[in-house]
Amino acid sequence: MTDDKKKSWDSNSDMIVADGLYKSFGTLNILKDVSVTVKKGEKVVIIGPSGSGKSTFLRCLNLLEKPTSGHILFEGTDITEAKGAELNMIRRRIGMVFQHFNLYPHLSVKKNITLAPVKHKILTAEEADKKADELLKLVGLSDKAGAYPNQLSGGQKQRIAIARTLAMNPDVILFDEPTSALDPEMVGEVLNLMKQLADAGMTMIVVTHEMGFAREVASRVMFMDDGNIREEGTPDEFFGNPRNQRLKDFLSKVL
Amino acid sequence: MNEILEVLYKTFIVDDRWRFLTDGLKNTLTITLFAVIIGMVLGLITAIIRTTHDKTGHLKILNFICRVYLTVIRGTPVVVQLLIIYFVVFGSVNINKLFVAVLAFGLNSGAYVAEIIRSGIMSIDNGQFEAGESQGFSYTQVMIYIILPQAFKNVLPALANEAIVLLKETSVAGYIAINDLTKGGDYIRSVTYQAFLPLVTVALIYLVMVMALSWLVSKLERRLALNDRR
Repeated sequence: MTDDKKKSWDSNSDMIVADGLYKSFGTLNILKDVSVTVKKGEKVVIIGPSGSGKSTFLRCLNLLEKPTSGHILFEGTDITEAKGAELNMIRRRIGMVFQHFNLYPHLSVKKNITLAPVKHKILTAEEADKKADELLKLVGLSDKAGAYPNQLSGGQKQRIAIARTLAMNPDVILFDEPTSALDPEMVGEVLNLMKQLADAGMTMIVVTHEMGFAREVASRVMFMDDGNIREEGTPDEFFGNPRNQRLKDFLSKVL
Repeated sequence: MNEILEVLYKTFIVDDRWRFLTDGLKNTLTITLFAVIIGMVLGLITAIIRTTHDKTGHLKILNFICRVYLTVIRGTPVVVQLLIIYFVVFGSVNINKLFVAVLAFGLNSGAYVAEIIRSGIMSIDNGQFEAGESQGFSYTQVMIYIILPQAFKNVLPALANEAIVLLKETSVAGYIAINDLTKGGDYIRSVTYQAFLPLVTVALIYLVMVMALSWLVSKLERRLALNDRR
């Protein structure tokens, strides 16, 4: 790492810095030298064709995938080599919302939300219970506290998954195609909730195919293709005046 | 009519011969109960070691030991295992035969339980691990809070069936001269020279026990299915 890079990492407002990330599965190179800086409060939306490495990149940020090389800094600390308890402490501050929700099916909605804060002894059972009530109100599902995930619609599941993530008071939330597994009429309720979070100042990194959401909510949009960020900019520049040919092709197909 | 009564009398009443069956049943149930407990504990430990190795690549040596254990136990007849433990492992020491049987059947059952629980753990979607890990849970915590409760629920009927199988398998305990239910019936046959009644009685006792347990299992299954629909 060079000196001036180091300096920029020291900046207080950098939430996550990915520096020269490579990731390969066997001989398949998924990420090829990806560098991204996300500042506190930013909403970064990553779009791109399937297989371009968007999800892999996102999963590298909380080390669900270990990068083959490169560095990840979270709030100024290099976490690339973090393991065990240290890694778990970091993950508590990085929320993640999955495409397939991954709610805990054996636990009630409320227990899904309170499990982590209680077991990590961040909140007492009573505090967590109160917090869960607040979060359920926020996501508009107060009446589902005692329900089990199997009884919920896809949109409801994803809103609960977001509430579960919020219960940990994360500094940043990673969204991995949060609406891709939903029936069309349920996409809106999840996107609205995400907009609400964005308006409240949450730092968000969102991998999605929802161009409307990117245009409306993103502070920066990135186009990922073939393992690299090909173009990035504000939504206006990005959608209004795309320069990269692949991006132009992509946008002409999805818009 | 008199003949039947006489056979009944000879088989069960003379010299309190029915006691061979009740004493035998007691031993059969004792062996089964403790062997089930040992089998469950051993199976759970083995399954966790195996899946931890498969998922994380750790515990190489323990995993190797587990694989040897599974291969040997599942690749040889339980009677042979019983005989080896009694006559070879404990050949030179005076030891309670019931203890030997519990150990042998427990070791045997553990191997099958291990594979049942392992299949239960492997059937849980990887997203559950990832959700747990993304929330800052350690591998052990993910296992305890998230994976095992789901895995157990999925394999509970299979585990109960394994217990039923074990109950029947203990019928070979007579090989090391334990007076279990089977041996009791066989003893009566050998002193009365009447094979039909004592052996069929033994079979009926096993059948009733197995049917009762199966009924409990199916009730359990229905209960669990109901939970899923909640």
